[in-house]
Amino acid sequence: MGIDMDKPGSTQLLMGNEAIARGALEAGIGVAAAYPGTPSSEVIGTLAEVARKYGLYVEWSINEKVALEVAAAASLSGVRAITAMKQNGLNVAFDFLANVALTGTNKGLVLMVGDDPGGLSSTNEQDSRHIARILDLPLLEPATFQEAKDMTKWAFQLSEEISNVCILRSVTRISHGRGKVILGDLPSMEKWAYFDTSKSYAGIAGLATRYHKSIHENQGSIADLYGSTPFNSYSGPERPDLLVVTCGSGWLYATEAVKTLSLEQRVGVLKIGTTWPLPTQFLQQHLAGIDRILVVEEVDPFLETNLKEFVVDRMAGHSYRFFGKASGHIPPYGEINVDSAIDALNNIMSIGYRPREEAYEQKCREAAQHVPPRGLQFCAGCPHRATYWAIKDALRMAGGNGVVAGDIGCYTMGIQATGFSQVKTVHAMGSGMGLASGLGKLEQFHFEQPVLAMCGDSTFFHAAIPALLNAVHNEADVVLVIVDNGGTAMTGFQPHPGVDRDAGGEIRPEINIEKLCESLGIAVTVVDPYDIEATRNAFLEVLENRGKARVVMSRRECALIRAGKRLDPIARVRVDGSKCYGDNCGCNRYCTRIFRCPGLIWDRETLTAKIDEAVCSGCGVCVSICPQSAIVGETA
Amino acid sequence: MMSLLGKEPINLIITGVGGQGNILISRLLGQAFIEDGYAITIGETYGATQRGGSVASHVRISSEGMVYSPVTPRGKADVILGLEPSESLRILTAFGHPETFVATNTRPIYPLEVAAGEAEYPTRGTLSDLMTGLSRKTWYIDASAIALALGNALLTNIVMTGALIGTGLLPLKRAKIERLIRESFSDERQVVNLHAFDLGYDAVAG
Amino acid sequence: MNECKAWEELRDGVIEENLCTYCGACTGMCPYLVPYKGRIIIRDQCSLDNGRCRAFCPRVGVDLTHVHNSMFGSSYESGDIGVVKDVFISRAADPKILSAGQYGGVVTALGVTALEEGMVDSVVATDSQDKCAPFGAITSRRADLFGCAGSSYVAAATVDAFNRAVREEHRHNLAVVCTPCQSLALANMTSSDLAEKNNMGKLKLVIGLFCTWALSYESFGLFLMEKVDPHDVVKVDIPPPPAETFDVYTRTAGRLSLPLSDVRPFIREACTYCIDMTAEFTDVSVGAAEGIDGWNTVIVRSERGLELIDKAVKRGHIKIETLPEKNLNHLKDASRMKKKRALKNICRKTGSRNDLLYLRNCPTAMQILLEEE
Repeated sequence: MGIDMDKPGSTQLLMGNEAIARGALEAGIGVAAAYPGTPSSEVIGTLAEVARKYGLYVEWSINEKVALEVAAAASLSGVRAITAMKQNGLNVAFDFLANVALTGTNKGLVLMVGDDPGGLSSTNEQDSRHIARILDLPLLEPATFQEAKDMTKWAFQLSEEISNVCILRSVTRISHGRGKVILGDLPSMEKWAYFDTSKSYAGIAGLATRYHKSIHENQGSIADLYGSTPFNSYSGPERPDLLVVTCGSGWLYATEAVKTLSLEQRVGVLKIGTTWPLPTQFLQQHLAGIDRILVVEEVDPFLETNLKEFVVDRMAGHSYRFFGKASGHIPPYGEINVDSAIDALNNIMSIGYRPREEAYEQKCREAAQHVPPRGLQFCAGCPHRATYWAIKDALRMAGGNGVVAGDIGCYTMGIQATGFSQVKTVHAMGSGMGLASGLGKLEQFHFEQPVLAMCGDSTFFHAAIPALLNAVHNEADVVLVIVDNGGTAMTGFQPHPGVDRDAGGEIRPEINIEKLCESLGIAVTVVDPYDIEATRNAFLEVLENRGKARVVMSRRECALIRAGKRLDPIARVRVDGSKCYGDNCGCNRYCTRIFRCPGLIWDRETLTAKIDEAVCSGCGVCVSICPQSAIVGETA
Repeated sequence: MMSLLGKEPINLIITGVGGQGNILISRLLGQAFIEDGYAITIGETYGATQRGGSVASHVRISSEGMVYSPVTPRGKADVILGLEPSESLRILTAFGHPETFVATNTRPIYPLEVAAGEAEYPTRGTLSDLMTGLSRKTWYIDASAIALALGNALLTNIVMTGALIGTGLLPLKRAKIERLIRESFSDERQVVNLHAFDLGYDAVAG
Repeated sequence: MNECKAWEELRDGVIEENLCTYCGACTGMCPYLVPYKGRIIIRDQCSLDNGRCRAFCPRVGVDLTHVHNSMFGSSYESGDIGVVKDVFISRAADPKILSAGQYGGVVTALGVTALEEGMVDSVVATDSQDKCAPFGAITSRRADLFGCAGSSYVAAATVDAFNRAVREEHRHNLAVVCTPCQSLALANMTSSDLAEKNNMGKLKLVIGLFCTWALSYESFGLFLMEKVDPHDVVKVDIPPPPAETFDVYTRTAGRLSLPLSDVRPFIREACTYCIDMTAEFTDVSVGAAEGIDGWNTVIVRSERGLELIDKAVKRGHIKIETLPEKNLNHLKDASRMKKKRALKNICRKTGSRNDLLYLRNCPTAMQILLEEE
């Protein structure tokens, strides 16, 4: 298993993101750069693993904008390059993208964006495809794992033919699903980078319109380039009652729905792999003689709206009835699936299909009532739980109803019970510090609440630094809490500039966050969150010292990194049954109900707290929270 | 022996709690099917948490070369392999039908909401009544106890893989899975994993 | 069962209404409520609706009749200085005790007696060495009691320390040295349905301190910090009228006399609703003997109190003298004045003579006092 097999024609089981990485490898890329973000991270992560073998330069960049710039530098210098990001990341990279789209590129430059319909691992479910249209860039949407690989390879070719960025849009189900992929050839390795100084890529004032004109006029030629690509295809009867037009994972859902409802003889499926600009001739050919169109796609009605525009402009004399997100047949928000497509077809074609008999359905509904909820939580031994515990106590003790501005990372869960509901805002990377900087300047409007901003070590580098400098310079009354767990934990422990390794495991100089802050004149307090009392007291002291920006560095390695290193637990923790009074104690199940570590469970037989040895990581933090000292930690 | 051989597609859902290792099972089985010439689509559903949340791997097996949706439609699960009993019931109520087969571990992993007294965990009796009532057949395997007896709770997933093969529902050869287990683990881990697989197999087929 | 959780009632009805005296009766029993810098902090939300925290809090509502009956076997009267079995002036015989004490050192001498006689094995008192941040201390040794001598006039959550001490298995018999609000809390706790759950049987002796009011931790601390280094302060005192000063004695700069009017703004609002000056719910109460320098006034209220005084005299720890009639009358007047002032303040807060806040369960005694206005 793996993307690095030099076995053309062999069948592999690959994750969508691995297939994209393989496509990039088959396209002969030299450079790959990204900031991690679910569901895009494995594209560059997989390439990093084979970087040495295939002579690639792969980096985890400080943020998506820099990643795109690093990739673009390779392109401008004649080396194919790929970057990958999630939809939020595309916003970060957008500023550069909007300009490089005007000046153009040289060798193939592919921007893979992994959208997250339903916001399964994201703060939003933004549909990135609009950006391709805004910038007049070609947009490809793979519908299968094989296509994920093949389209990626083709995207480099397209990029070179139009001298511009090609966007490949995937979604969680494609990126994180696995399926059959037949491998292609790997090209020879050697590449030469050279920046041709006879050319200019400068987007300066006065040239914008000229650039814009040229890129806009290029749209027709892109549509021509799409020509007879196999990524656009039709299957179904010659004269269908209903034409389903679909793209990406929508195609998987539509075809399965048609098959499930046995509508193969009545419904045709038009698959569009090139969703911007629309493939003119291909559409004209397949829309002629059609009355009814159902559009199935993830998130926004992008294809649907563009198709409506297309038929007005290009299909004069034809009239269509459209079904889709605008008509309410496909949900216009949230993730869709086969059932969404089944429901739409069921409704439009009046079939009366039901997946299960009502009696069985009723039994399922009743049985589901017995299934307990299983909410999100910090892992056993997670340092974030300990940090939030100390913050909670410190803010209550300090009084004044402190505000905690959150940020993006595992510690986002501070909005929930697992983080004692301390976090009140979560938006974009680095926004916690930016908001805090603003809150810390409201004193003249009688604002007295203490202000804390949370950010992880990786988020600090990504986008919190400018906001912190802003707060320092403007003397905003804020505390930045950097929860440093030694890596980009949420997306799989990718290194960042504060770590002494790069994507390929090479030793690199690490940037010391404390020294950076101290060089700005910021007082930095370093705490170990596992010592919750000392951490709380440190917060209390920092909170009292009001008037300017301060930093608390709450440093403790992620429990999963620690577990991965197979280190011994810090303490062997157990509950002394003779000391735990269970429900007879005044504590009202303080450990399981309030502290909420999954390593602490409630023994239904003895009616006391208990350590689940299979889950406990041995951090020992809970030892100090039991009022009866019934939780005992023996140093291992 | 009951077998799903010939059904198109065969929909298997492997469910459990984050950290139990259901992705290892789906990759193992997926590889086995790919080698046998099947088209496979695997979808993983999980929350944003690394550990402790509900996770499910949907394995969709096609002998006709079809690529299906990575997530099984409502009421279309043929086999549910559960590493945690309440998660087995959760998946059964969403994806089951009267002909669905279930093989489930019997050891609960209590959600925090239960430890906190905010939710009730169903009794073993309730769970088995409900699952038996909603499935064509449910196998109950004390896989965690078997794994712990072998010295490591993390072997639960391999025990359950053995149980799944032991049901004979899937068109997969026992020897092939044993070979893939050998290939997946280092020399010193192979023996105990193969032993776990055999004990799971025997718990159902024996 | 009540609709709102115990802690919500404490928060909404006591803490946020500024009725909390910071006695500590609600803390030291669970992890949810903790005393910190003059405020009761609600760290986390407890889901119990019949917790000891609310049951024990005298400011949620106290039935003085019931409490008085349980303690003294008689009804609560509207009177002045409460139950009196004996009243006199006294001073410690040991010069070391005498010099450490606020006035006559009697409290320390009684604590020492109780420990030496084995009447108790532990004494809970207020450690006021940090004059801005006094706290409840648990002591078993004579030497440690010395650290608790002297007053700071800043409220301390001494009952919190008692609540922690009663949980300790090696402590069987406890004495508490406390202010009137704290003694009312202890009496309320002892007569509560939940007394047994808090091992109230271990409480053997309550030594009260006369009190007019207490200062709030944070604002007074900040005020004092502007004048002196708080760690340099060895004693604070309010000399008897007509001095009208708040005297701060420092190690390095001697006495600093502040106008009392500068200090009054820092009096806890809760103290202005207090009807007890002489700590009426105790075995024995001790205060200044106004106009008799270096002596304490002592009111003995129970058999247990008489026994303690008897032993202290026999051991030679204290000397006693008769309290002049004039002084007794003056004490009674002052005490009655505090009650009336408190009731007036309560009525002003509620806007009604029918809503007496925490005293709403004792209408008869209170109406008598109100009538006098």
